[in-house]
Amino acid sequence: MARERSWQDVIAITDLLKGDVTPVTFGSRELAIFDTIQGITVSMARCTHGAANLCDGYFDGVNIECPLHQGLFDARSGEALAAPARVKLRMIEARERNGMVQIYI
Amino acid sequence: MPAEVLTPVTQALNDGTLTRPELKGLMKRSNGPAFRHLAIWITVLLATGFLIKMTLGTLWVWPAMFLHGIILVHHFSLQHECCHYTVFKTRWLNDFVGNLCGLIIMLPNRHFRYEHCDHHTYTQLHGDDPELIEPPKDLAGYFWYLSSIPYWKNKFSELFHHVLGKLSEEEQRFIPKEEYKTVIWEARLMSAFYMTLIVVCVVFSWWAPVWYWWLPVLMGEPVMRFIRMTEHVGKPCVRDMKENTRTNYVTRPMQFLCWNMNYHAEHHYASSVPFYALPSLHEKLKNIVQVEERGYLGAHIDILSQLTGRKNRSDALENPSNGT
Repeated sequence: MARERSWQDVIAITDLLKGDVTPVTFGSRELAIFDTIQGITVSMARCTHGAANLCDGYFDGVNIECPLHQGLFDARSGEALAAPARVKLRMIEARERNGMVQIYI
Repeated sequence: MPAEVLTPVTQALNDGTLTRPELKGLMKRSNGPAFRHLAIWITVLLATGFLIKMTLGTLWVWPAMFLHGIILVHHFSLQHECCHYTVFKTRWLNDFVGNLCGLIIMLPNRHFRYEHCDHHTYTQLHGDDPELIEPPKDLAGYFWYLSSIPYWKNKFSELFHHVLGKLSEEEQRFIPKEEYKTVIWEARLMSAFYMTLIVVCVVFSWWAPVWYWWLPVLMGEPVMRFIRMTEHVGKPCVRDMKENTRTNYVTRPMQFLCWNMNYHAEHHYASSVPFYALPSLHEKLKNIVQVEERGYLGAHIDILSQLTGRKNRSDALENPSNGT
């Protein structure tokens, strides 16, 4: 039977890279925690094009650029904005509670 | 866990060669260095163009055109950086300047971008790296490649096929289906522009593009072929970035012309680092990448030593082609 989804702590807010993207491993998942200008968002960390780890890319507070081919994603919605990225990022619902970033998973 | 795709920069972070704050610091973007670089660039172009104007009608026009051509063909270096979005902080400026450079050297930008993506994914891997320059089999192959004849033959053929709406099997591998039309129309627009300009030249007997653009580019291209060979040719065809790419120490003018792309191994390690930060990245990586201290000439001495049997060929276990 599938486990019911619930809010899970992933990282303390004080441990996030301010204004940047922080890599976090949650169980078997590699996550990217974005400190965007509109708050914290979370996505799967791998680029949907070449599977490079987006946490090592350039982040300007809104968009994350893949470190391998410079494809571009909106870190708030996951939308693929520029080639060679075409498939949107898988975003994970996130919130801040008690000094922690939580994801609904 | 996801499939193990380890980019060189992730590898460098994992093994401690580079720390995350260092990488993030190096990746910071700014428009200033590019505008300053471009201002000098345009001045140099105008100066060499003026040399042509002053020498037209004399034999000195040929060395003047060669000099101007060397600058013109280095628009490849600028286009290359633009396709990595590492020239300007403002992203669309990279697209705009990249397309302009592509028009100058007849290298359609969108096609190059996709081809170059696979070059970074599969650097030096036979059958996968679409930009792999085969080590020449012998000296004849070496000079044949440097003549640029095979290069232009390939470029004109590529453009012609794209205008007809055809993409090779290899191109169909590295260009996504959704982008076929873009690549084809890009080639059609570029060809239409060139054809129109040729008609204008003939109708108005106006030959400036020939003297200031096309002939210099043709004369300068062997220099670009000479430089492109130093990046990977003679290095082993293996996945390891510490082995398959050369960084070349070159003079300041050459470094200026190639937009710091002489730090080629560093660029492959972290291709999101802007051109002006590559010397700083080099300081972090210089002990783990292949550095040719004698520069472009040293790289060619290395290549020629392999071709003439004075050194083991890097592709000894493979089947080299004739360098075309």
